[in-house]
Amino acid sequence: MSFLAPLFFVGLAAIVVPILVHLIQRERKEVIEFPSLMFLRKIPYQSVERRRIHNWLLLMLRAAAMALLIAAFARPFLTRNPLQAASKTDGAREVVILFDRSASMGYGDHFERAKEAARKIIQGVGRDDQATLLLFGTGTEEAVRATSDRGRLETAIKEVTVSSEATRYAPALRWAQSHLTRSALPRKEVVLISDYQRTGWERQEEIHMPEGTVVTPVSVASPDNSGLSVSSIAMQRASFSGEERVTVTAGLTNRGAKPFTNVAVILEVEGRAVESKPVTVAPNSSASVTFAQVTAAQPNMRATVRAGSDAMPKDNVFHFVISPSRPVSVLLIQPDAANAALSLFLTTALSISTAPPFKVDVVPVARVTPASFERRSVVILNDVTAISSQTDASLKRFVEQGGGLFIVLADHSPWSGGETPLLPGTLGAPVERLVNGTSGTLGFLDYSHPVFDDFKDPRNGTFTDIRFYQYRSLNPAATDRVLARFDDGAAALVERRVGNGRVIAFTATLDPSWTNFPTRPMFPVIVPELLKYLGHYEEPSAWYTVGRMLDISVPLGAIVREGTAGDTKDTTRKASAVVVSPSGKQDKMGEGGSPSIELAEQGFYSIRMQGTGERRPYEVAVNLDPAESDLSPLSPTDFLGSATGRAAVTPTGQSLERPEMTAADMEKKQSFWWFLLVAGALMLLAEAVLANRLSRGFGAGLLQAEKT
Amino acid sequence: MESHAIPGARFVDPKVLARIKDLELLARTVVDGFINGLHRAPYFGASIDFAEHRGYVPGDDIRRVDWRLYARTDKYYVKEYEADTNSNLAVLLDISKSMSFASQGISKLEYGSYLGACLAYLSHRQRDRVGIVTFDEEIVTYVPPSAKHFNVLLHTLDQARAVRPGRLPAVVGRIAEHFKRRSIVALISDLYENPDDLIDALTPYRVMGNDLVVFHVLDPAEIDFPYNDASRFQDLESGEEVPVIPEVFAAQYRKMMQEHIHALMTKFSEVRVDYVLLNTSKPLDEALFSYLGNRERLMRVR
Repeated sequence: MSFLAPLFFVGLAAIVVPILVHLIQRERKEVIEFPSLMFLRKIPYQSVERRRIHNWLLLMLRAAAMALLIAAFARPFLTRNPLQAASKTDGAREVVILFDRSASMGYGDHFERAKEAARKIIQGVGRDDQATLLLFGTGTEEAVRATSDRGRLETAIKEVTVSSEATRYAPALRWAQSHLTRSALPRKEVVLISDYQRTGWERQEEIHMPEGTVVTPVSVASPDNSGLSVSSIAMQRASFSGEERVTVTAGLTNRGAKPFTNVAVILEVEGRAVESKPVTVAPNSSASVTFAQVTAAQPNMRATVRAGSDAMPKDNVFHFVISPSRPVSVLLIQPDAANAALSLFLTTALSISTAPPFKVDVVPVARVTPASFERRSVVILNDVTAISSQTDASLKRFVEQGGGLFIVLADHSPWSGGETPLLPGTLGAPVERLVNGTSGTLGFLDYSHPVFDDFKDPRNGTFTDIRFYQYRSLNPAATDRVLARFDDGAAALVERRVGNGRVIAFTATLDPSWTNFPTRPMFPVIVPELLKYLGHYEEPSAWYTVGRMLDISVPLGAIVREGTAGDTKDTTRKASAVVVSPSGKQDKMGEGGSPSIELAEQGFYSIRMQGTGERRPYEVAVNLDPAESDLSPLSPTDFLGSATGRAAVTPTGQSLERPEMTAADMEKKQSFWWFLLVAGALMLLAEAVLANRLSRGFGAGLLQAEKT
Repeated sequence: MESHAIPGARFVDPKVLARIKDLELLARTVVDGFINGLHRAPYFGASIDFAEHRGYVPGDDIRRVDWRLYARTDKYYVKEYEADTNSNLAVLLDISKSMSFASQGISKLEYGSYLGACLAYLSHRQRDRVGIVTFDEEIVTYVPPSAKHFNVLLHTLDQARAVRPGRLPAVVGRIAEHFKRRSIVALISDLYENPDDLIDALTPYRVMGNDLVVFHVLDPAEIDFPYNDASRFQDLESGEEVPVIPEVFAAQYRKMMQEHIHALMTKFSEVRVDYVLLNTSKPLDEALFSYLGNRERLMRVR
């Protein structure tokens, strides 16, 4: 029996009220002064005593009524449904074994103990019971589903290995919830075998197990969870005589209570130990090691930092990739007889950009060949008069395969009437905007576009001081996206997607003849942003964390633009690659394979473009989630209590009965208060009747008694 | 006490009287109104009734010589009257704490004071000597009867305050020692005493030939006991408290009170003491009239 509002019991003090009334009413009211008690004194007083004794019944009635009313207000309810409790002791069981195989389970003997605990539970599975083994880390994997075959379950347990995944309890618990909800068996049980890592649980998640589910926590956490881990890597790049050199700094964390003294931290590049440094890390603190410079001679060099060995060796290793920074290769095509100023502002703006650096080749249109597009990320047509049809076709292919094209439309631009699918829209005649000394401005900017995204905030640069004296009219097609418009509504910047590539057209010059844009501060900011976007440029990541999905377009795009994709001989060949995981598993990606892969293992993934021969593969380094190194455990009871919204869980596994029902729900359902209130009211009614009768009949009786 | 329907009589409500602060004015208001409604006052001329003649002795006032008798008999005779022309009125006013009880605005003490003032005024008009004794557990004020003491009497009544408990039989007995001359003694009290003790206490007055009138002043609440709620009752004089349930007690109380009054009435009449029961809710002149009417009837009998 519990109470929803036990504070009302303070009101029990009110029971004193009827008692006081009974005590005071007859003996102590106002005192009446009377001239003489000569006669009153002679009248015997026992009658009053007799009256008080008779009122005990009335007093009990009043006190009971008061107590009932208070109990009603306290809202009592039964926490246990006896019927349901009885039903749980027999019948077949639906058991879900949630088995944690995250990287942290590799600590010491945790995994073996977990397997042993699982075996014990499997031995308890009866002939009518159904058991499911669910392995989980970040995600879940059904090892064996709903079987009473203990042999299968034991084999499955034997085959389980520690994964590199991080710990996430919610998906596993949710899976168990949905599985148990569908189950028709009368008894439902969940066994969670884990090291109960604190980092695996987000507070806001809440899982409601079906009514009557028994959740048994089995913890393999050990009190001593000290360990050293390599938590991060920082790389600093420097150029030296045409070569790029990288300084690697490794961060080490000791989460245990013991210090690590003179641990050898080794930097390996391409499998060879380059340098070893001794490091001492105090308990519960971090340290860093900086190695000597390494030359980034070629792209995709595998590098690893190893720091000693402890109970959990997986987090003593950190993999990463060293590559020389790759400039964005830009081909700038301009008219043959162009004056020097035409591309000056553009090339200057690109030359001062460092992240990423741009490698710009300026070529007159007459000298452009299909080979010119090889290994380019972006091609710029700066007011180009005419392109040969062959060049046009290669340009189209370049764009379709993921290249970027930036078209500057001015006087010489030849296209009109949608002759080419590369031009986003239909080109019209130049429009004069300088009328009576006033010029055009930009009236609209699409800040949702990645190019302008950084300028959403009004403080981040202004476009209001840009003036346009003339522009080339362009009517975008319905599918084209207008990124900027002039104040008269005409398109200024239009984007079109062609194949995997992107085309953006600008309807004014990039020299000061039609606009003052190149002389404005925003020019050297916007132009690199535009080309980064067109070239699909992404900051190359030296490593990824386990569990990330790797989009194939990144390595493939790089391979395409750096290599054979520009080869015109085989236009039908589709880009595809083979991915070799650290454990040696091969997967096909791209055309004919999956568009992306999940990085599930710690180590290096090699991505090899089909048909590229001995070209170096693209390498992806994958490391453990740093949170896996933090082994501090949750209290299993508290965790299951908070996870399932119920605190009533014991380490031995107690029923999470009616977990979806809160105390208020239960009270509402049972509604004992109503009966108590009615009983209290009836009691009061009886009291009123009795009191009336007593006061009338008693007085009369007394008088009679006196007379006799 | 029964009220007599007296044509033309206008009785003054005690509560109205209570507003008249001047006791003389009050007494005049009551007595004059009362006399106007009277056909014949019982005391008028009663004290100058002729008794006998005696022979003149030197030293007698020659004005008292009966000259008519001398004309007939040629001897000097002096007229003698039955009583002295002026008699004494002594008011014995009980000012014990119980007299301060008032359930309806006018206390027994006030009522008794008015009564005393009225009696004194009446006597004063007849050139009688008036005096007063106020007492509670002992004598508080003693004003010997004198023709000049009417104002002193009024002042004494005005100053009377009921503050102490009373011990009527003992004190009344002691007061009797002060009376050298025969007087009309008016005892005004609520008489919460044993009737026999009272009779004993008043015996000296009778022995000395005083004309004794006992005015028993009671508040209507004392007679009717109109209480309903169970309460504690406190004795005004002793402070003692007694729990009382009126619904049980009232009937018994009324019975006992009536028995007490009846006992007083019987015992006083046995010893030829006039007993008058006065209810403070009844007009004072009505009470006075009723008393004097009775007294006249009795005197005629006598």
